[in-house]
Amino acid sequence: MRGHLPALDHGRMDPAPARYMIRINGHLGATMLSAFPALAPRHHGAHTVLTGLLDQSALYGVLAEVEALGLDLLELRKLTPDRESPETGHHRSP
Amino acid sequence: MTVAPAAPRLIDRGDLVAALDRAAARRVTIISAPAGSGKTCLLRAWAGRPGQPRRLAVLQVRRGQHDAQQFWLALLGVVRHVTGANSGAELPAATPGFNAPAMAGRVLSELADARGGVTLVIDDLHELTSPEALVQLTRLLVDLPPQVHAVLSTRHDVRLRLHQLRLAGELAEIRAADLRFSERETRELLDASGIALSAAGAALLHQRTEGWAAGLRLAVLSLAGHPDPERFVAEFSGSDRTVAEYLLAEMLDRQPPGVQDLLLRTSLLDRVNGELADLLTGRPGSERILLDLEDANAFVESLDPERTWFRYHHLLADFLRLELRRTLPAEVPALHRRAAGWFTVQGQVVEAIRHTQAAGDWADAARLLADYSFSLTLDGQAQTIQALVRAFPPGADHPELALVRAMGDLVQGRLDEAAAHLAVAEAHVRTAPPDRRRRLQVAVASLQLALARRRGHLAGVLGQVRFLESPVTGQSDEDIALGSDLRAVALMNLGTAEAWALGLPDAERHLREGAVLAREIGRPYLEVGCLAQLGFAYIFHGAARPNIDSFAMTQARCREAIALAERYGWGTEPVIAPALMTLAGTMVWLGEFDEGERWLRRTERALQTDTGPDIRLLLHQTAGILHAGRGRRHEALEEFSAAEHLASQLEGSQALASQVTGWLLATQARLGRPGEARALLAALDDERAGSGELRNARAVICLAEGDPAGALGAVRDVLDGTAPVLGYTTVVEADLLAGLAYRELGDLRAANQAAERALALAEPDRLVLPFAMTGSAQLLEALPRHETAHAALLADILDILHGASPAAKDRSASPPAEELSPGELRVLRYLPTNLSRPEIAGELSVSPNTISAHIRSIYAKLQVRDRSSAVRRARELRLLAAAGRKR
Repeated sequence: MRGHLPALDHGRMDPAPARYMIRINGHLGATMLSAFPALAPRHHGAHTVLTGLLDQSALYGVLAEVEALGLDLLELRKLTPDRESPETGHHRSP
Repeated sequence: MTVAPAAPRLIDRGDLVAALDRAAARRVTIISAPAGSGKTCLLRAWAGRPGQPRRLAVLQVRRGQHDAQQFWLALLGVVRHVTGANSGAELPAATPGFNAPAMAGRVLSELADARGGVTLVIDDLHELTSPEALVQLTRLLVDLPPQVHAVLSTRHDVRLRLHQLRLAGELAEIRAADLRFSERETRELLDASGIALSAAGAALLHQRTEGWAAGLRLAVLSLAGHPDPERFVAEFSGSDRTVAEYLLAEMLDRQPPGVQDLLLRTSLLDRVNGELADLLTGRPGSERILLDLEDANAFVESLDPERTWFRYHHLLADFLRLELRRTLPAEVPALHRRAAGWFTVQGQVVEAIRHTQAAGDWADAARLLADYSFSLTLDGQAQTIQALVRAFPPGADHPELALVRAMGDLVQGRLDEAAAHLAVAEAHVRTAPPDRRRRLQVAVASLQLALARRRGHLAGVLGQVRFLESPVTGQSDEDIALGSDLRAVALMNLGTAEAWALGLPDAERHLREGAVLAREIGRPYLEVGCLAQLGFAYIFHGAARPNIDSFAMTQARCREAIALAERYGWGTEPVIAPALMTLAGTMVWLGEFDEGERWLRRTERALQTDTGPDIRLLLHQTAGILHAGRGRRHEALEEFSAAEHLASQLEGSQALASQVTGWLLATQARLGRPGEARALLAALDDERAGSGELRNARAVICLAEGDPAGALGAVRDVLDGTAPVLGYTTVVEADLLAGLAYRELGDLRAANQAAERALALAEPDRLVLPFAMTGSAQLLEALPRHETAHAALLADILDILHGASPAAKDRSASPPAEELSPGELRVLRYLPTNLSRPEIAGELSVSPNTISAHIRSIYAKLQVRDRSSAVRRARELRLLAAAGRKR
């Protein structure tokens, strides 16, 4: 029905989705994890690492959720395809 | 029904309160820290501390506040409450066309009137998502009066532009690190809550929570009555789970099953009361549980003094919602549906729509929104409506939403988008079920009219919407109420369109009917809207032929509409602009240029947020005739050019455009550029070029070219009544142009006759403007007094043409005993308006007491006893004229 209409509300100019890594202090349990259905969780030491494909507005949605739940955000990183190693964090330098 | 037995007490965080106290000595203090940092607790402790010398106006921003208007009305409410000013006055009512800068100005002026120190406290500012509201809030904070301070709390830094304050050292900040509990405070909190924990245990707890206030408060809830506090702390400390989740889960686990169930099922509400909680849990007794939870400080707080409505702490609410979706996913839609039903019955439509959306019942939500969109717009909730529209996912869109989108587009002036959405809505009407068809049809037609009016393209539309005249029928009371809102809007739009198409007397009849219906159904906004447009419509009705005092009648109608608007605090809202503008215009026609200018300024303020080409055209046109009347032709030319430019944006032809074009060309010619004017004239089609207004313009061009005979030829059809004219004022103008032409030709007898005819036509309304615009002073002066039956009018006109005010004649203008001060002069210039003293105070950003003092002094110096004689006297003394010269 909306095909020929100017897309006013959902037509934000998002860049293509990218993989992001979000590191949070502490282990998230099932309840807190359910706030991030689009992200894959992994415990890493005393941290939780969430990764997933997000566009910009989804990313800001995740950050708002982190804020609302009072979580302690440690790191946020965009993962480029050639150095996707969120666990170690070190880069395979050329 | 029991909850945690020992209520943890808030401890006296003396150091922190003292820190806020020091900070609050600055103009603005911002408390910016994450959820659960204890911002609100700190504000309460600070507000309630003994010896708090300042009065506090406290506003808690509602969750997800998208609506700038609701924010400002709430802010004005708390300011009024604390300053006690205007406490008798009602808050301005919400309007569909909200003027945010004017409202911020009003809050400032009421703050400025507060005696003694006032601190404005705005809690949860991050919830305010309206960028417009933040812009105006910045202005408010930068311009705070000296005795007013502000304290803001927010979860994250908000986009306020406060560099100026920061540079001036007037901005203080309290951040998360300042809010953290020290180890000593942690021990005090435990002691105050009666929890026996070893020093090592307390230290461990402090370390694990990092002094985070919500963490400590949650820990205390779980520790209170815990059999082994040391073990609790050790386990907590040994866990890798996040502090919030661990403690929230612990707290929830410790509640009895009934309480847990209530918390979970009601978590999807922003606010909950006992009745609603009973409905969602299917059990009675919820209110008691909520009261007990609040008493236990268990992250539940009441919102009203009677303790009927409650809300949960953000952290708890978000946790509960996640837990509900995780553990009872199948029940969530049904819970939303139940809540939606309750809110619908209560008439809380916005909440009902939100829950219907949350239940995933998108088609129902779209229908509800479409049904209530007119009523909600009238309630001043346009921004909320648009937020609700945005909440529909693209795939779940519904044709009825196109109607709602079109409304939003129209409000924002996006006319092409509005047309596209209306086309979708119109196509849907044909396929809609019969019970909805009629209502949708009326809604679509009503919006098409509004769109057509704004585009100036009325001819095609008016014929198709005759059916709007008959009422919408409905079965239930609810249907009838909705139908009445819709019908009143339709009548207003129909009458307005007819007024702009100069289709009288239908416009008058429909607007009157609309006003009466609006009054019956308690929609003052529509009543004001109809009356304002009626004032506008009437000027053309009145101008059709000379009547005794038809301009005065128009003015009376406009003033009536303005008075009604002011009663609701809408004196400078877009809705009343047509009446303000018409009043300004009639004053200019009657030669009352200073008063006309004041009303025109007020019209400009009312139109700050309205960019529609139709009403802006009138604004420039009225400013143009004001300048032209004062002989300022260059300024007049600028305004007429701007009006002409807007007229070209309006589709189709309309009589108004001929008038603007005529004045534009005439002004060019009078400025010695007849060649340009003639070129423009040549480009017009025959229909427009044949109108009386453009024939007059042609005559002015001929006169400027030294061709008086050509001028006489140009106005002939206007004078013999064969050329179509917008009003008799065009004929007055034609007579004067003929008079000027005869004068050039040396036929003074014919010149005098033409002048006398113009005076005779102008007499009933006492028109002055045509004489000023045509530059007819010499023509009138040459008219022997014994040859005119209109000597008094003639003397008045000549006084005005020579720069005197209308009332100055025949009065000895002895100077006042004492000169007025600049401040008194400023106030004096508002006296001819019908602004009340508090309104003048608002305009000048001073207190009403100052205004009253000035007015007393003005009366004494002018030796008068009331406002109207003060105005008369001031006019005699030419004290009002100076204001007219500054823009």
